[in-house]
Amino acid sequence: MQNTGPQPETPRIGKSLWSDAWGKLLRNRLAVACMVVLALVASGAFLTPLLPLQPSDKAVTSRDFEPPTFRHQPSDNLQVRRNDEVVPLTLVVIAEADAKAEKVEQQLADIDSGDHERRKRVLNSIEDVRQRPYLEAGFTNMGPFSRWMTRMRLRIFGNWSIPSLCGRDSLGRDVLSRVFWGARVSIIVSIVATLVSLVIGVSYGSISGYFGGTVDGVMMRIVDVLYSVPFIFVVIFLLTILGEEQTKKQLAEYGIDRITIFYVVVGAIYWLTMARVVRGQVLSLKKELYVEAARAQGAGQMEIIARHIVPNVMSVVIVYLTLTIPRVMLFEAFLSFLGLGVESPDVSWGMLASEGLDVINPVRTYWWLVVFPSIAIGLTLFALNFFGDALRDALDPKLREGR
Amino acid sequence: MIAYFAKRFVWLLITVWVVFTVTWILANNSPGNPFTSEKSFPPEIEANLRRRYNLDKPPLVRYTLDLGNLVRGDMGVSTKQVDFTVNELISLCWPVSAALGLAALAWAAVVGLVAGVVSASRRGTLADLSLMSLATVGIALPNFVIAGFAILLFSFLIPLLPPAGWGSPRYLLLPAFCLGAPYAAYIARIARTGMLDVLSQDYIRTARAKGLSRLAVIMKHALPTAVIPVVSFLGPAVAGIITGSLVIEKVFAIPGIGYSFVQSAIDNDTPMAMGIVVLYTILLFTMNTLVDAAYTWLDPRVSWEDVS
Amino acid sequence: MKLRNNLPAIVLVTLLLGGVAWSLTASRLPPADFTFNNHTEIKTVDPALVSGQPEGRVINGLFEGLVRLTPQERLPVTGGPEEWPGTAERWEISEDQKTYTFHIREDARWSNGDPVTAEDYRYSMRRFLSPITAAEYAKQGWYLKNGKKYNSAGAYLEPGDRVEVELNLKPGEHETRIGQLVKGVLVRKDPPEMPEDEEERDKITQRFYIDVDGEERCYVIGDASRGDEIPNDAEPCRMVTLDFDEVGIRVVDDRTLVTELENPTPFWLQLLGFYPLFPVHRGCLEEHGAPDWTRPENIVTNGPYRIGFRRPRDRVRLVKNESYWNKDNVRLETIDALCVEKSTTSLNMYMLGDVDWIEEPPPNLIREFMNADPPRDDFNPAPQLGTYYYKFNVERGPLADKRVRQALALALDREEIIRTAVRGPQKPGYSLVPPGVVGYTSPEIPHSDPQRARELLAEAGYPGGQGFESLEILYNTHEAHKAVAELVRKQWQRELGITVTLRNEAWPAYQDRLRMSQFDVGRQAWIADYNDANTFLDMYVSDNENNQTNWANDEYDRLISAAEAESDEQKRAELLYQAEEILLDEVPLVPIYYYFSRNMVKPHVRGFYNNLQDFHPLHAMWIDDEPGVVNEYMQGAER
Repeated sequence: MQNTGPQPETPRIGKSLWSDAWGKLLRNRLAVACMVVLALVASGAFLTPLLPLQPSDKAVTSRDFEPPTFRHQPSDNLQVRRNDEVVPLTLVVIAEADAKAEKVEQQLADIDSGDHERRKRVLNSIEDVRQRPYLEAGFTNMGPFSRWMTRMRLRIFGNWSIPSLCGRDSLGRDVLSRVFWGARVSIIVSIVATLVSLVIGVSYGSISGYFGGTVDGVMMRIVDVLYSVPFIFVVIFLLTILGEEQTKKQLAEYGIDRITIFYVVVGAIYWLTMARVVRGQVLSLKKELYVEAARAQGAGQMEIIARHIVPNVMSVVIVYLTLTIPRVMLFEAFLSFLGLGVESPDVSWGMLASEGLDVINPVRTYWWLVVFPSIAIGLTLFALNFFGDALRDALDPKLREGR
Repeated sequence: MIAYFAKRFVWLLITVWVVFTVTWILANNSPGNPFTSEKSFPPEIEANLRRRYNLDKPPLVRYTLDLGNLVRGDMGVSTKQVDFTVNELISLCWPVSAALGLAALAWAAVVGLVAGVVSASRRGTLADLSLMSLATVGIALPNFVIAGFAILLFSFLIPLLPPAGWGSPRYLLLPAFCLGAPYAAYIARIARTGMLDVLSQDYIRTARAKGLSRLAVIMKHALPTAVIPVVSFLGPAVAGIITGSLVIEKVFAIPGIGYSFVQSAIDNDTPMAMGIVVLYTILLFTMNTLVDAAYTWLDPRVSWEDVS
Repeated sequence: MKLRNNLPAIVLVTLLLGGVAWSLTASRLPPADFTFNNHTEIKTVDPALVSGQPEGRVINGLFEGLVRLTPQERLPVTGGPEEWPGTAERWEISEDQKTYTFHIREDARWSNGDPVTAEDYRYSMRRFLSPITAAEYAKQGWYLKNGKKYNSAGAYLEPGDRVEVELNLKPGEHETRIGQLVKGVLVRKDPPEMPEDEEERDKITQRFYIDVDGEERCYVIGDASRGDEIPNDAEPCRMVTLDFDEVGIRVVDDRTLVTELENPTPFWLQLLGFYPLFPVHRGCLEEHGAPDWTRPENIVTNGPYRIGFRRPRDRVRLVKNESYWNKDNVRLETIDALCVEKSTTSLNMYMLGDVDWIEEPPPNLIREFMNADPPRDDFNPAPQLGTYYYKFNVERGPLADKRVRQALALALDREEIIRTAVRGPQKPGYSLVPPGVVGYTSPEIPHSDPQRARELLAEAGYPGGQGFESLEILYNTHEAHKAVAELVRKQWQRELGITVTLRNEAWPAYQDRLRMSQFDVGRQAWIADYNDANTFLDMYVSDNENNQTNWANDEYDRLISAAEAESDEQKRAELLYQAEEILLDEVPLVPIYYYFSRNMVKPHVRGFYNNLQDFHPLHAMWIDDEPGVVNEYMQGAER
């Protein structure tokens, strides 16, 4: 950071550093392309319920292993069954269900508040009735926001859905929509896991680096020792221990499911490298003159860490983030390969890819089952990696003079 | 130097102890017992088995017993393959994984370094872009997808190599290629970054100004420094790669230890799991120590005092 | 460049290259005459300790029981050496069908040259039934008189029983030895009953007061050398059991053995031909101890093969046993049993000719192979005595209601499951006992009827699935089980409007959850151990460990035990039929499909037949290299 020079006003430095980097990023065409890809993937995943896709869990068994096609078929559309007749899913159908749910809700008033068993049962039925039309159409259980987006989609596109451009899987489910819904899980898992590692790693690393001396020695020794724990092991053991039925039920009451456990555990493991990187950065930063100056002005230690050190480590941290997300995604794929990933009806990219592996054989390869999920994973990780590199180049002052 | 290694040895013991304890606690609290099978046992026989595996004793006593056995180097008998002791299983399976890992690493290091250096010295050209894109694909795809396609390609479309098994050099090539691919990609990227860092340093420009050829500068002055980050990546990677890869060993049916590494945890085969964990820890620690030691050789500014 | 500076680099490179070179010269074996994929790593070659098919295949080659079963129909062989009978050359059955007298052939030899004697069989039976051995298949020996009582250690001992006490081994003695035996008469047990719960048991030390030659002694199970506390007034021992002399197996002379059974058991000869009851060599076990006695250089076998080479996770190589009495009929000199788990990998090896027999191609290719035109000459699925079913934990919420269980059963569309998830030749299953069992035809559960299912669910208080707590389907991690579970989930959701989730567990955790009844709906499959309805129906009596559903029905229990004691075939079948009717009406389980074998066998393999139990003994196989001739049993049907 020699070029920025010693100045007491840190925010300004940060700003110029960032705007400078931003400018450089924009000049790098590949980086811009990567950013566009990432933005598309992220918004695609976020807005999935809004898109006119087929439901991810709708099994049309008569169309199993159907190859990719542009032809639209009636069973592509959103449909529900009413009195043994197939009718389109419409806002009316949903409104009927909601009205019914409200009726059930009125029963709740009559129930003695102490009667937990009955209350729970009625609450269950309300949820059942409300989810019913979506489930029947082939969606998985959705939160209120996703349901709202689905209704918006019905307003905009009606029940029309994109044909099976990427083919169908063994149960006749649409691969395209599975890739989209899988993106939601994969991306959330990797981002949250990475954020968990970020919070632990940055605080641990900066504290260790800032205090130095014995504290640093002890804290880094702990990291060293933890480094040697084979963490695949830890993850498997923890997933089995916490997946035990009683434990699982207790956790479920707090809203903790397997995915939550997964990203907390993974995050709690990936923080080690982060802590080391941050510590190294802090060690060199605290010798900088502006930190000395702040200290001379009587700023508290925590204040210095929070206001001066942390913002300056951010560049390293962000680069590291863009490189950790891909690793977590691959790890999720690996766990899916072992059968320890998400559980059906949820779907993730890792699960799709490992399902795809089963159909790579010399006799008959249903290539679309492996190619499309692989493209999704590959493209996203490719973009993340390149973007991470570009970001590092942009943030690294030393490279300015490089050819 | 001797003081350094002695100190590291003490730390090794502490690390092994910590890792052993953590894994022991996890393994002994995971649901399911090691002798479950499809045919259930009557309670009397179950009680007998519990006695045989010391499961009737309080946890602390069991822990002490197991730790004692570890110190004596006796890891017990695998509960899933009862014809072998854990030590035998490791000594039979680990060399296979190690051989595969070394072969994978050898090609990964050579190809990765060359690609990284070429890419860095031609920064911004088409060659750089395509090499780096290729490398990124290596990192961006799950291992098992690469393996699946490699088998289709090299065993069936072009029938060159056997699709699975172990026993002769031919069996080694395909799995080593698939196992090494992501490592080659990582090495290429790290080497490129390291090289770029070095190439912008003053002394390189001085050397160039003195009239030394490009190649000579790269080989003689830049490479040793640029290799440092690669070495620090290789340390843990070596430990990981030669303890085997579950995915590759499963897809290629290779009798290595990588499979047991995960399977013993899943199968609740505690003795085997503990044995492998200890092996892995020792290897990883040794590799990290060697990496630190390598700095003193690669970077003249680093002394023995610095690394310890 | 100075050499000194680059020394570490040179060392490193040399090491790497050396390592690779070493790996390239890794041990090489000449290919075997016959190679098959045994699917998983075998647990052990010890006949007493295993219960899996992969282990069975290897053990069948290594050891030989009193009886051998035909490779065609898996029935006891009675002919001459070409027919390949077992170690007993003939036997007599008593009038009441409870006593069998076996005459062991004179030329039967162990691989070390020792003759195979009646005492070998008695010793092996004792070891098999001993509670110390903890044989997984111990129940196969319960048909012997007092077999169950001996096998259950102290559990069923009563005052007045003749008992034997096995004292602890001396330090350094191999675990495989039998400790010194003290014989006497049981006076009393204190406490008389032990609690079921494991942790409760661990807290209690049971005392056995035994009258030994007129003197009353007190024994407790325990060993001071492993840190057990031994009360002052008691003597430690390894085990207290019924006196083995009370068990129905008797040595008349070296070549004559008598077995006495509890009940007339029509399948007793089949059981003797099944690997758990194969003999082991006492001297070998006691000299080397476990696990050393199973080493290729130590093991002593009495079957057509011995172990030539073994590498974990790779292969077991069987080589011809030159001491075997029927060695002239052994045609394959060497056999390799591989353990490739991934079905795609296994298929790849088969297609390139590295393997001659694989158990099962990947599920999504089966239809492809079946519909091949012209028909394949190496794939011909055949019915197998096995049923794939889901069982309900009847103590879980709505599943306690019989109507709910019936509704779930009626909502299944088995045709769709087979077409989409199983993708094979399997047939929809409507009973627990599959068709093909000798002398028995099952009743049927009502076929698919979603309308009736919805009515039943509404009657049970869940109209349209409203208020129904979500159900979880538990299955062990496997692509095929996953596909079935996915589809069942969809069907229940579609027809009944209930929420269903899936849960996969690795094999041990899955078994454990079933055993502790920690499931709502559990996948299970049962393959017949012997050709009889009892092997299926016996599982659902209330005290059977494999029941696991918490379902108990007194009438059912009564019918099954009445059938056990019945010697008239016709009446016995009638009793079993009534029992199965109850089972299918109460629906603690819902059958889904009947098994089919899916072997792929190279056309040059001979002696491989399709049969109901998917039983393919290695000794019967050979290779016929004559071009153009195929194995007719593997010839696919014209479709």
